[in-house]
Amino acid sequence: MAKIIGGIGTSHVPTIGVAYDKGRQNEPAWAPLFDGYKPVAAWLEAQKADVLVFFYNDHGTTFFFDMYPTFALGVGEHFPVADEGAGLQNLPPIRGDVKLQAHIAQSLVNDEFDLTVFQDKPIDHGVASPLPLLWPHQPDWPGTVVPIAINVLQYPLPTARRCYRLGQAVRRAIESYPEDLRVVVVGTGGLSHQIHGERTGFNNTEWDMKFLELLQNDPEQLTKMTHTDFVRLGGAESVEQIMWLAMRGALGGPIRKIHQNYYLATTTAMTVVLYEDGLESEVRV
Amino acid sequence: MNPQLVGMSDIPGTYVFDIETSHKALRLNRFFWNMIAADWRARFVADPEGVMTESGLNDLEKELIRTCDWLGLVRIGANFFVLEKFARVMKVSNMQVYALMRGETFEEFLATRKVPDAR
Repeated sequence: MAKIIGGIGTSHVPTIGVAYDKGRQNEPAWAPLFDGYKPVAAWLEAQKADVLVFFYNDHGTTFFFDMYPTFALGVGEHFPVADEGAGLQNLPPIRGDVKLQAHIAQSLVNDEFDLTVFQDKPIDHGVASPLPLLWPHQPDWPGTVVPIAINVLQYPLPTARRCYRLGQAVRRAIESYPEDLRVVVVGTGGLSHQIHGERTGFNNTEWDMKFLELLQNDPEQLTKMTHTDFVRLGGAESVEQIMWLAMRGALGGPIRKIHQNYYLATTTAMTVVLYEDGLESEVRV
Repeated sequence: MNPQLVGMSDIPGTYVFDIETSHKALRLNRFFWNMIAADWRARFVADPEGVMTESGLNDLEKELIRTCDWLGLVRIGANFFVLEKFARVMKVSNMQVYALMRGETFEEFLATRKVPDAR
């Protein structure tokens, strides 16, 4: 049977992709970010993860507001990385597993998550920015991605609680898949940032730390928050952290933190956190 | 009133992009969204006025685009995530857009950041 072996929370700042493309990983301003992903990449390799389920958002790229899905699952053997106005990022197409994606879609719909299914579409920096920091891509990616897009752009957004429940339903979907696959769930976005309006540049590290603590130990508290609460505490675009709640929902019970890196350099608190099932007291040395 | 948005209007300098805003600004946002296509970008660069007219934009929208008034565009319903595609075409970085949204010069904005070189 397929099994969830861990969860990752990660920012998806487009600048990460630009810096990566320019080979700036070792520069003083960028090393604290890129180095922070190395333990996560090493863990994924050691754990032989076959699949990454990405709870991510499209940035008005694959989908436009003339038809913008609340939840959408990508089905395909390949997804090209999207052109977002500056040409194509130098990455191979993201790989998919159609049988698994179709199973998850079927399981979610039967579980009353009536989501949209998309095919033959590019995927933007919501996935493509963090993916090369998690997995190598030369000559090709070592595994497949299940892209699950969540509307965090056009209100009404799904509630924090709904995203948490989506994660729980994804866990049921994965655990009912007969093939022995090792699956990691990834929640993307955040942490604190605002990038529109006069309040652009807002950050709140104190809240970011509180969010991480609640996410791990008391996610139910976060599911009670409104979108306004997220915007007030973490800046307008930090509302996308509801996608971390989908990841948390898919992890189920107690989780232990294996690694965390937090780097607030300019406008977004760029963060990566790795979790496994289990209690903190069980952390292996 | 969307119960998830109660209190949002009390947060300064923040513009909620909801369905009504999206509906009003659909043509404008589609104009920006089209910048994901290389041929559209090339056509715009060659003939900005013609492409804006073809997109059905009104005089105010055209003027805000001509002057790259990012905050003005957000105020009339432009969504940041399609706006940033247009910024790429204008060879303006997101950090430069952020500075202008705050009413600051680029240098002033960088001075407020922890690691200004991370760009």
